[in-house]
Amino acid sequence: MQLGNTLKRSAFIGLLGVAAMTTSASAEDTIKIGVIQPLTGSVAYNGTTDINGSKLAADEINAKGGVLGKKIELVIEDGQCKPANSVNAAEKLIQRDKVVALSGAFCSSATLAVMPVAQNYKIPLITGVSSSAPLTEKGNQWFFRATETDALLAQSFAKILYNEIKLRKVAYIGVNDDFGRGAVSEFEKQMKALGATTVMTEYFEHGTSDFYTLLTKLKASGADGVFVAAETQDGSILVKQKAELGLPVKVFGVGSWATSDFIKLTGDASEGIYAAVPYASTMTTPKNKAFVDAYTARYKEAPGKYSTAGYNAINILAQAIDRAKSTDAEKIREALTKTNYEGPNGHFQFDAKGQASGFTVVLVQLTKGSPKVVASTTVEQH
Amino acid sequence: MSRSSRRRMHMDLFLQLSANGLVLGMFYALSALGLTLVFGLMRVVNFAHGELYVVGGLIGWALTETLGLNFFLTLAIVVVVLGIAGYLIDRLLISWVRGQGEEPTILLTIGLSIFITNTALLIVGTTPQTVLSPFKSKPLFLGPVVLTQSRLFLVVICAALIVGAYLLIQRTGLGRAMRATFQDPMAAQLVGIRTAHIYGFTLALGAALAGAAGMLLGSIYVVQATIGGVVSLKAFVVVILGGMGSFPGAIVGGLILGLAEALWGGYVNTGYVDAIGFGLVIVMLLVRPYGLFGKRIERA
Repeated sequence: MQLGNTLKRSAFIGLLGVAAMTTSASAEDTIKIGVIQPLTGSVAYNGTTDINGSKLAADEINAKGGVLGKKIELVIEDGQCKPANSVNAAEKLIQRDKVVALSGAFCSSATLAVMPVAQNYKIPLITGVSSSAPLTEKGNQWFFRATETDALLAQSFAKILYNEIKLRKVAYIGVNDDFGRGAVSEFEKQMKALGATTVMTEYFEHGTSDFYTLLTKLKASGADGVFVAAETQDGSILVKQKAELGLPVKVFGVGSWATSDFIKLTGDASEGIYAAVPYASTMTTPKNKAFVDAYTARYKEAPGKYSTAGYNAINILAQAIDRAKSTDAEKIREALTKTNYEGPNGHFQFDAKGQASGFTVVLVQLTKGSPKVVASTTVEQH
Repeated sequence: MSRSSRRRMHMDLFLQLSANGLVLGMFYALSALGLTLVFGLMRVVNFAHGELYVVGGLIGWALTETLGLNFFLTLAIVVVVLGIAGYLIDRLLISWVRGQGEEPTILLTIGLSIFITNTALLIVGTTPQTVLSPFKSKPLFLGPVVLTQSRLFLVVICAALIVGAYLLIQRTGLGRAMRATFQDPMAAQLVGIRTAHIYGFTLALGAALAGAAGMLLGSIYVVQATIGGVVSLKAFVVVILGGMGSFPGAIVGGLILGLAEALWGGYVNTGYVDAIGFGLVIVMLLVRPYGLFGKRIERA
């Protein structure tokens, strides 16, 4: 009897203590934004730069007083560029961390898996990276894409590749996921329509370290140009091994070609590569110089497309929350549709499908370790 | 194109693919050798094999790139350090579960692999690195086949290490003691062999080979804390093909896997090139479950 009473009393006091702690914890003054990026695996290089851009944006916003009087807090999870892990990360962020919006999940395949989760829980999801065209065709009102699609890049630049760089027999190499396959099919469609012939189409797995078989096939195919859809790690190894095999084939691609870490990793083998990207540090838009200076000062390297993607995503979300004057999910979603944001690569607004337009995309050629802008075009609203 | 030049082009493609396959095969063979030896001599399935490979690569990167040490000196250091690590792992961890069957050691090595991977991630992060090699990556043209100087040298070094391991096991006193302990631990103890030390040395050998492979291959591929799982998987394929515990099996298994991947990837489809290894495993397990060189030894 005595023991039972003591136990009950200590349990009660214990509960009071826990309740006190939880209430004090939830009285924090931050607005939480969930960020799902690959922090491990072969795309970790690029995911980390996205986080860098995101953090720069959050700190800049907080330095100006935050949003709705509160500071922005980024809750970062590792999606590993894998659909299952990204979905887990999203569930954790929504249910446990109670984030008001999500930015992620980098790889198109992973973002595709997170989209239904966002729709289920009615949380806005924005991506600054995923470029597979079908994402904005799913009719998901909670999903916004603040970047280009590969279809768009193909339409914008195929003529230049055909007419000026004179590519006639083209080989296509892509990483084996939604992004790689989608990009290959989009560019192939455009190039074929102009008259180029496809001599080879092959895919490789994330994290492949030996491309010799693939490159041997490329050599035997007699291509004069090869289109490659790959991220920094895979792309740099492929290009270096292509140089090892002495293949003179011209390379053009989508992915992370114009980023400073790619150029550093690839070294001399990067000379002459053409890349279609939504951002290059050498762009001359009004806001770019300040962004490049701030990013370089903090991270000691020039920003690339992923740094800008993270930076834009957080800024767009923060402005939407501000416009909505609330952290209610539906109000934020509504405010996102009215986005009118000026980023380092141009102007952003969303159409009815959540696809951004108004910003600039460029075709660059890597010359002496720097992305030289060869052509640029503004993304039109469809 | 004339028929003879088309035939020549096909021949060139075949030769290049085969050369790629043999080079890759030698790399696979060295990677898997440590695993098969540890199983053959100790009957321990070392699931942390891939992680020891990763640690060898990371030490190789740290010493060559950040400290600027000589490549061969670094290789020697990696072999010694991994050897000591392997010995300690056996004496301090595996010895606790020896004799309790195979499941506890499997669980132990799986746990060890997770521990090593995450510790490595904490210390060096996710960025992929390489080991600085003194060999050039410029192409060497041997007739219709292209190789690089670095790959050629690495194949030679791999072969040297494999021969060295073979000589150690077959020609030295230590090797004899290892083989005796495998054949019959009780009898070995009765003739005065300190089996506890022998087990330690065996795992040291396995770890040293794994670490050496990690460092050598890290100079042309990538060194990263998270690739241990993939390496282990490929090593298991090689070992199943060649026969668990068989030294020549690891070599032949490695070459078969390398050639199969190169030819399948070259003639069929490079996207699913990993599938051929597992396909071969399934066929092997159905047709000849002990592998090509596996010995069916019944223990008394």
